[in-house]
Amino acid sequence: MPKVQIQKKSTWVDMTAFVDVSFLILSFFMLATKFKPPELVKIENPKSVSSENVSDKDVFKVTFDREGRCFISFSTDEDARERVINMLGVIERQKNMPLTNEQKAKFLNFSVGGIGVPFSQLPALLQLSDDAYKSFKQPGIPIKDSSNNQLNEWINAMLTGSGGRKPANIMLNGDNAATYPEFKNILAAFKTNGVFSFKLVTAMEPVPAGSPLSKKQEELRK
Amino acid sequence: MGADIESSSQGHGKKGPGVKKQKKVAAKVDMTPMVDLGFLLITFFIFTTTMSSPKAFKLNVPDDTAKEEEQTQAKASGAFTILLSKENHVYYYEGQLLPDGSNFKSTNFKELRSVILDKKARTNEKDLVVIIKPNEQANYKNVVDVLDEMTITDIKRYAMVDISQGEKDLIRVTEGG
Repeated sequence: MPKVQIQKKSTWVDMTAFVDVSFLILSFFMLATKFKPPELVKIENPKSVSSENVSDKDVFKVTFDREGRCFISFSTDEDARERVINMLGVIERQKNMPLTNEQKAKFLNFSVGGIGVPFSQLPALLQLSDDAYKSFKQPGIPIKDSSNNQLNEWINAMLTGSGGRKPANIMLNGDNAATYPEFKNILAAFKTNGVFSFKLVTAMEPVPAGSPLSKKQEELRK
Repeated sequence: MGADIESSSQGHGKKGPGVKKQKKVAAKVDMTPMVDLGFLLITFFIFTTTMSSPKAFKLNVPDDTAKEEEQTQAKASGAFTILLSKENHVYYYEGQLLPDGSNFKSTNFKELRSVILDKKARTNEKDLVVIIKPNEQANYKNVVDVLDEMTITDIKRYAMVDISQGEKDLIRVTEGG
């Protein structure tokens, strides 16, 4: 029997530190992640070199998808809520379409996801339950015909309701495959109401190296 | 790793006469699956965060109702017109479109930048104005791409204008439709 035993080296690695680190990173990402609000309309945004973050305060957003449908939505902060209530007041008067308080509350609820129906269908839309709203395929706000551009009326009602004060963030959220006339009609509706500056929702893209913009940015850094 | 199994099997084996080994309960826990799970979740969160970071592209459009004299008139020598059509087709011409359409050229999005930069190098900065004319079949992506190209190539003056019938016809003939 040998006195000196060759000790077997254990292949065991202490993973505890590893676990600590991984869960630290995990908790960081969990806290930092802001989930997208559930979107009823699937939108693939075009890319741009712009690096400005999208604000979520006092937002009026017009979404247009590849099928040519147009939706309006608002953010959930206090300013935007007040704006929506005032706007609905104007719509009630202009369209002679009284809405109950429940319907107005529904509008606030649905306006996060998007409202995309002609005025004639609006009361019916606001009767739907949350689940029914999610499965209901909205036809979109009519914008094709310049004599019946209802987006124009929505914007008009919104600006009238808030005494001409424009929302801080007017955003256009368009799909890659949306056609240009659709975009043009939306711009036309805004222009008629005296709104000339927008923010297009885009995905980020790196600035191409060697282009005038990248040279300009490098100079700024120096 | 399986190292915990190893240590428990050692406890059973007798090393020699009179040597009684005390049975040890392994205090080590195999952490590998936990690490796996941790990193799986990290990857998930990393992907979801990067996906949801939209950026705002500022766009200012002119007032169409502005008085004629207030509107900037494009000098023919400095004008550069980009036409957009279906399936990412891009056409351009410099200055005025000749009646026979001989200065009407076709390009694509990859080469568009060098074409613009070439024009920019040849033209007095004050006179250069890029006119963007998408037709009915052009999609929103192309429009934003061209607007973005204006930022990249640092063009100060550009405008989005309705396409004329002559240009529409020219595109149709070129596309053979």
